[in-house]
Parts: sequence; C-alpha cells; structure tokens
Amino acid sequence: MGKTAELLPGTLDMLILKAVSLKPLHGYGVLLRIQQISRDALEIPQGSLYPALYRLEHHDLIAAEWGQSENNRRAKYYTLTAAGRRRLRDETAGWNRLASAIAAALSTTSEEV
Amino acid sequence: MFKRFRSLFRVLTRRREFEDGMSEELRFHFEQYTDDLVRSGVSPEKAARLARRELGSSINIKADCREAFGVHLFDEFRRQLSYAARLLRKTPGFTATALLTLAVCLGANLTIFAVIDSVLLRPLPFPEPDRLMTIFNTYPKAGVERDGSSLTNYYERRGHISAFTSLAIYRYGTEIIGEAGSTEREQTMRVSPDFFATLRLAPVIGRTFTEEETTSQTDHVAILSDTFWRQRYNADPNVIGRQIRVNSVPRTVIGVLPPAFHFLSSDARLFLPLASRAEDRTPLQRHAGGNVTQMIARLKPDATLTQAQSQIDAQNATLEADDPQAKMIADAGFRSIVVSLHADHVAAIRPTLLLLQAGAIALLLIGAVNLVNLLLVRASGRVKELAVRQALGASRGYVVSEVVVETTLLTLVGGLLGLAVGAGGIHLLRVLGADRLPLGSRIVFDARFALVALVAAIILGIVFAVPIAWFNLRRHLGNALQSESRGGTSGRAAQILRHSFIVSQIALAFMLLAGAGLLALSLQRAMAVSPGFQSDHILTGQILLPWADYPDAARLTFIESLTDKIGHLPGVLSVGVVNNVPFSGNTGKSAATVMGHVLRPGESPRGHYSYGVEGDYFRAMGFSLRAGRFLTAADSRRAERVCVVDEDFARYYWPNTSAIGQRLWDGSEQGKDSEAFTVVGVVGGVKQAGLTEDEAQGAIYYPYVFRIGDSVFVAVRTSLPPESLGLALQQAVRQIDPDIPVNDLRSMETRIVDSLVARRSPALLAGLFSGIALLLTAIGTYGVLSYAVAQRRREIGLRMALGAQPAQIRSQFLYLSLRLLAGGVILGVIGAWLSGQAMQAVLFHVPAFNLAILAGAVFVMALMSLVACLLPSQRAARISPMETLAE
Repeated sequence: MGKTAELLPGTLDMLILKAVSLKPLHGYGVLLRIQQISRDALEIPQGSLYPALYRLEHHDLIAAEWGQSENNRRAKYYTLTAAGRRRLRDETAGWNRLASAIAAALSTTSEEV
Repeated sequence: MFKRFRSLFRVLTRRREFEDGMSEELRFHFEQYTDDLVRSGVSPEKAARLARRELGSSINIKADCREAFGVHLFDEFRRQLSYAARLLRKTPGFTATALLTLAVCLGANLTIFAVIDSVLLRPLPFPEPDRLMTIFNTYPKAGVERDGSSLTNYYERRGHISAFTSLAIYRYGTEIIGEAGSTEREQTMRVSPDFFATLRLAPVIGRTFTEEETTSQTDHVAILSDTFWRQRYNADPNVIGRQIRVNSVPRTVIGVLPPAFHFLSSDARLFLPLASRAEDRTPLQRHAGGNVTQMIARLKPDATLTQAQSQIDAQNATLEADDPQAKMIADAGFRSIVVSLHADHVAAIRPTLLLLQAGAIALLLIGAVNLVNLLLVRASGRVKELAVRQALGASRGYVVSEVVVETTLLTLVGGLLGLAVGAGGIHLLRVLGADRLPLGSRIVFDARFALVALVAAIILGIVFAVPIAWFNLRRHLGNALQSESRGGTSGRAAQILRHSFIVSQIALAFMLLAGAGLLALSLQRAMAVSPGFQSDHILTGQILLPWADYPDAARLTFIESLTDKIGHLPGVLSVGVVNNVPFSGNTGKSAATVMGHVLRPGESPRGHYSYGVEGDYFRAMGFSLRAGRFLTAADSRRAERVCVVDEDFARYYWPNTSAIGQRLWDGSEQGKDSEAFTVVGVVGGVKQAGLTEDEAQGAIYYPYVFRIGDSVFVAVRTSLPPESLGLALQQAVRQIDPDIPVNDLRSMETRIVDSLVARRSPALLAGLFSGIALLLTAIGTYGVLSYAVAQRRREIGLRMALGAQPAQIRSQFLYLSLRLLAGGVILGVIGAWLSGQAMQAVLFHVPAFNLAILAGAVFVMALMSLVACLLPSQRAARISPMETLAE
C-alpha cells in the first residue's frame, strides 16, 4: 500500500455517488470500488460508510434493492437515482472549480504577484 | 421534503425489515472483508479481529444509520411513551383521578359544543346560506313583537326590492294524506313558486311550482320530499304525474326534492303551492300576516343587509302613504325587519347555549387547574430523580419532551374517554329535549366531533406540560439534591402557584354554583306562576278539519256532534272547543276595535289574543268567571253577536265601568252596528304563550262561527287521569269521520311542563356542572392540603416534640383552607355578580345579585372546604414526633 490521504469532510458522499454511478454495487463493493478508483490513495473509514449510504438513500440520491452477490449471497445493491446523477454532476463541477482554484493559488510564484 | 417523509414512513411501517436488512448488510460486509483478508494470507482469527476493528462497533453504526433516516426520534419517543405509561401505571390513584377529570370536563364541553355546532355554527344546508334573509313585520307599541309577513307584503315586494335576487313566502301546515279509510297526517309546507329558487335547491326530478298554480282552483299539484318519495312511492322514478290525495282532494305529483333538502327545523315531507285569492293580496290585507306566513329572501351578491333594510323601509313608507289605516299602523310602531334567516331561527336559544358553553368551559378550567396542581405535586415528588438524571446528562430538551409525552398521553386517553362521555351527554341532551331545539335534529356524534376532541386533548396536553417543564428545569441541580432530600419546604413560588390555583378553582366553582342557583330560582319562579286556570284533569288534542269536506257550516255541525259525543263519555265533566289552547306553541294576536274608545295621544292600537270557542270551553278549562256569563254552545247559532273578554282586556278599556254590555268589532276598523259584538262576560286572565309571559295583552273569546280556522283544539275536563281518556277521544272523532286523526294529544299539565323545557334543561345541566365542579374543587383542595401536610411532616414532628398540641396543628391547616376559601369566595362573588348580569336574558324575575343564592353558595363551598381539609389536618395532628424525627 502506498501513501493514503485523509478524506476531506463531505467528500465521502461524492465518492459514493461516483462509485455507484459506474455500476450498481453493494456496500462492501462501494468500499472496494472507491479504493480501486482512487488507486488505494484514499482511506475510507469503514464505520462511516453505512451511515453515509443510508443518508444518501433517505435523501433519494441513491436507491437500494436486494439482489444476489457474485458468490450467491443476498446483498443490498445501490444504484444512482436521477437526483443522485444531478447531484454528482454538480458536486463534480464544484469540486473541480475548487481544486483548480486552490491548485492555481498554490502554484503561484513570486513573480506573478 | 415530502419524499423524505415518505421514506421515513416506509421505514417506520416496515421497521422489522429495516433492522434485519441493516444487520444482514453489516454481516455481509464483515464476512466478505474477512474472506478477502484470509485470501490475502492472514490467518482466519487475525482476519476476523482486524475486520472487527476496521468496521467498528455494529451497534454504533446501526444507531448512525437509524439517525440518517430520522428513525431514532421515534425510538426515543417510544421509549418516553413506555416510560410515561409505566409511571402512570405506578400511581393508579392519580391516573384514575386525572383521567376521570379529563373525561368529564372534555365530555361536558364536547356535548355542549355539539349542540352549539349544529344550532349556531354549521351553516344552513343551502348554497351561500349566509345570503338568506327573513323579513317580518313588527308592531312593538301594540304589543306585537313579531307578526310574520302577509301575502300582500309578498306580492308588493316581489321584484321591487333590488337588494334581493328573489323573495318567497311559506306557511307550515298539517294535511291529511291518502285515500278514505287509510289516511295519514303529514307535516307540509305551502310555498310560493320562487321558494326553491330562493333557497337555490331545485327538485331533482320534475319541476317547481308555477305562477299559474297559486290560485285555489289551479293549485292541485304537490312536490315530495326525498323520504316521502322513498317511503310512499318506493323511490319510483316515474312518480311524476301520479295522483296523491291531500285533504281528500287529488293533486298531481310534479317534483321530488333532493335528499339534502331540510328547511330549518321543519319536518315537512310534502310541499304544496301557497294558493290565495285576489282579495287576499290587496292592500287591506297588508297587515294580516298573523305569524302564519313567513318570508325569506336571498340577498344579491353585492348587496348588504342594510341596503335591503333601507329599501324595504322606503317601500313601506311609500305604500303606507295612501293606506287608510296608516295612522294606526304608524302608531303601533310598525316596521318590517330584515335579518339573517339562520340567526333569526336560533335567536331565542342562542344566549342559553352560550351560557351553557361558558359553564362547560369553566368546568374545564377547574379540571385543568386541578390536574396541573396534581401534576405539580407529583413533579415535586420526582425532583430528586430528575436532578440525578440531569446531572447524568439528560438534556433540557429531553426533560421537556418527556413531560410533554407524559401529559399528552394522559390527555389523549382522557380525551378518548371524554368522547365516550360526550356521546352519552348527547344522549342525555336528547332526553332533556335537545332535538326539539331549532336545528336540534342536526345534533350528531360524528368525525368532526372526534377531531375536536383530539385537537383539544393535544392542546391541553401541551398546556399542562408548560408549568411542569418549567418546574422541572427551574431549580439548580445542587439545590434540588440537597433541599428535597432533607425534607425541607418546597419552593415559595411553587407554593404560591398551587395556592392561587386552588383559589381560582374555588372562585370558578362558586360562580358555577351561583349561576346554577340563579337558573334554578328562575325556573322555580316560572313554575310558581299560575296559568290562570285550573290546569289539572284536562286533556287536549288538535283536530284538523279539511276545508273540502267541512266548509263553514259543516264545521260547526262537526264540532257540535263531537262535543255532544264526548260529553256523554264516562268520566267527562265538560268539553269545549277552541281554535288554539294556551301553551299550544302557536299564538297570534289580532286587533279589535272597541266602540266609543278613542285613542289617547301616544296610545297605540293593541293586538289581543282572539279565539273562537264552542261548547263548554270555559268550564272545561277551569276559567274563573269575574262578571256576567260564559259563552255557551247556543251562542254560535244565535243571531245576536256576543263575546267574552278577559279581565286584562276589561281593565284596559273600561277601567272605571263594567265591561258587560260594552260593544266591540273584530278587526282594526269600526264596522256596521249590526256586526258589533256585545260583551256578556268577563273571565280571569290566562297565560297564553307561556308561564313567563309578562305582558297581559288581553283576550277576546268569540263564538266559534265568527273565528273559523284550519284546525280546532278540543279540551276535556275529566274526573279520571286525563291521559286515560285519549283513546276514547280518538274513537269519538273516528265515529264521526274515520279519516280525521287527533294530533298533539296531551294533558294541559303536560303542556305547561313541556313549555318550561327551555328553562328546566339548562338549569339541570348547570346543576350537574356545578356538582362536578364542586367535586373537582374538593379533590383539588384535598390534594394540595395533603401535600402540604406530607411536606411538613418533619417540621410538624419537631414542633410537637417541642410541645405543640395536636389541636394547634389541626387548626393551622384549617386556617390555611379557610384562607384559600375566603380568597376564592371573594373572587367568586364578583364573578357571580358579573355572570348574573350576563345571564339576565335567560333569567325570569331573578336579579343578578341574589343574597340567598350567594349565601347558599358560600355555605356549600365552606362545607366542601371543611370536608376536603378534614382528612389532611387530622393526619397532620396524628403525626408522631418520634417517627418523623427518626426518618
């Protein structure tokens, strides 16, 4: 395992939405998918994963349905709802704006001031 | 927002599934993670340990998940609910008292509210009911407050009052329906063609009456009510055109009304055109309303009552300008008044109902104060427990919500019981005659009722919670932990609060008691009024004679053979006939002109009760003869016109001379000399409309032929119990004509008793309310004194150890209860005086301030206080110093 980064507050929801937007996943699958797409760079506290999933479900951003897992066990699968898709788009855009602004700010050299 | 409620609701309704799903999901995660760790080479034991650490406590995760859905609030609520229920179960005495108090107080309010709702609040069942008006003539200076409207009024106003879209008249009646041999009596209404249009409810089948159907030759049509159509014609859709015999004349059915059609309090099931002759509509008949014919009108959407009133006034002024009777009419203070139909219909009963609701609210206040006091006492018993819990971290919000849950649980259960009491109360009111009130048949126990109870219970629950929560949060923790544990006295503020509650309770109960006393005294005074005749042993009944079968002369023949037949029945002492017996419920006054009487300046012509009598009416009714002779059966057949007047009439017109031999005309004009009636007798004055009738208007009795009407009352004096004669009377009528029924068969005493129902029932209810109030106040006083004794056990024990006598201790508590009593009574007397003023409208010859009643109320309250404080003060006096100091 390489270096891992602490999650910024509020970013877990965004990552979950991104993870389930690619393919319906169960809770453990969401964890693995986030680790995979962040190339193991992000440490997800497993305990806060489920409350986050439930909150998103309650707010109708993701929908849950029981299905069969790869090894034939009953598991709860989450999919993105239309509202969730909108939210993901907004948050991604917002994040990109923020990140580029901060990056630009941090890369400022003394000559540019 | 709505979606979130739906998702929460879904979880709450399938809670089991939610919890199971959560466990299964976490287990799946744990096992998958463990498997993955094992696959990557970790030993199974270590993998399980690692997974458990990474995931954290599943209890915490689940709690967080529940919170994400908002489910936790409901779990907390359920916990508080079961805690409250457990606490209430642990104190059955308190809980039972509280629930009973709530049930009775809420039940009483719901009952009265049901009546107020149906009589005063619920609009009449017509479109835009608030635009419906009624118009009546009044001649206040002639002693005639209300005289309906005349046919002439109708034909003159129709289309000429621009503030009204339409205007109609109607007349209540009773008709004999059906074929000879199987007739029935029906309540009917005779209405003008625009009656239904004015109400804006048209027949669902067929049509309404036309203008051509308003003469006696062309009015052979009828409209049926829905119930009549269903019962008589089995809801036959082809009923239009069928024949129905009304008063033995066939009529054609032309319409059926919708099921919702209910005109005011009328039970009419058959509607006929109000037919009249041209001479009934002339200006001469303008003031011949006589309270039989009533007018309704619908205001235009943009018109106001004031506009309508001024238009009517203006028209009256124009019309009276060329009226030969104009001066007399003006002297009588004539006006036509426009008022809301609904308000007018319930005007008489309104003050009584509002008074009763005020009484019920006072009762609820007493009950509520009682409960708050009991709850406060209870809360001070739990101060320590609460202090400990707050010290251990219970938030203020939690403490408050706990109180709210507890009080609301209490009031909701109480409200439920109150609903049952209310249902019983409505039943009681029916027994007391509530469905005879105007619109009283609309009184029902329905969902609205339950909703009101629910809302009231929740509001009460929250109101109760406020002082308790304040009490619980007010004290500092350390204080509470110390002071109460040492059995010291409770906070001064709380004590003052408790005592002022008791004082206000006593004051309210005192007001109720005094109010009930005033009503009872007023009833007693009304009952003590003599009706003016010997009312015992008289049976009376109404007989309707159809005009078609009994034209003028035939009526007299019928009556003569009837009195002859009844007179020969065993047990009958005398029998007579009159158009209208006293206390029959319908009275009308009409004018008479006394020969030689010139109106003094400022004097207005007077309306008098005028009757046609036949047979031995005066003896049958037990009238007293003051001078001359009674009328006899023969007077109807004699050429000479004679009449009898009552002493009020005689005193008014001939204060200094004998009335005998004086002459007068029936009607408001001097007639021909041959048409004048000679007074042959003076009888005692009689209460005609009711015992509480104050103004002696005077009465004239003519031989029956001169005062023929639609129906007659027969009055029979008997040596037997009067009701036992009912069947024989009906048979006697049937022997003459099998198609004529006898209605409204009641003894004269029953009529008098029934006439007092509007006074008796409120007095009974007020008595009931004040009885309950007294009981509640006793419970409240007892509770607070017992608490005071329990709290001061230690102090009392100490004083007794130092030599205080039990009698001193006892008198200390007696003194406390006396102080509370005195405070309450002083406030109560003021309140009783104010409420007595407000009650003047419903009182009969009783002033607002009646010393005997106030003294009686003081006595009863003092007795109650004494009883309530007896037990606690006795308990205080028996405290053993050894025991209390050793505690």
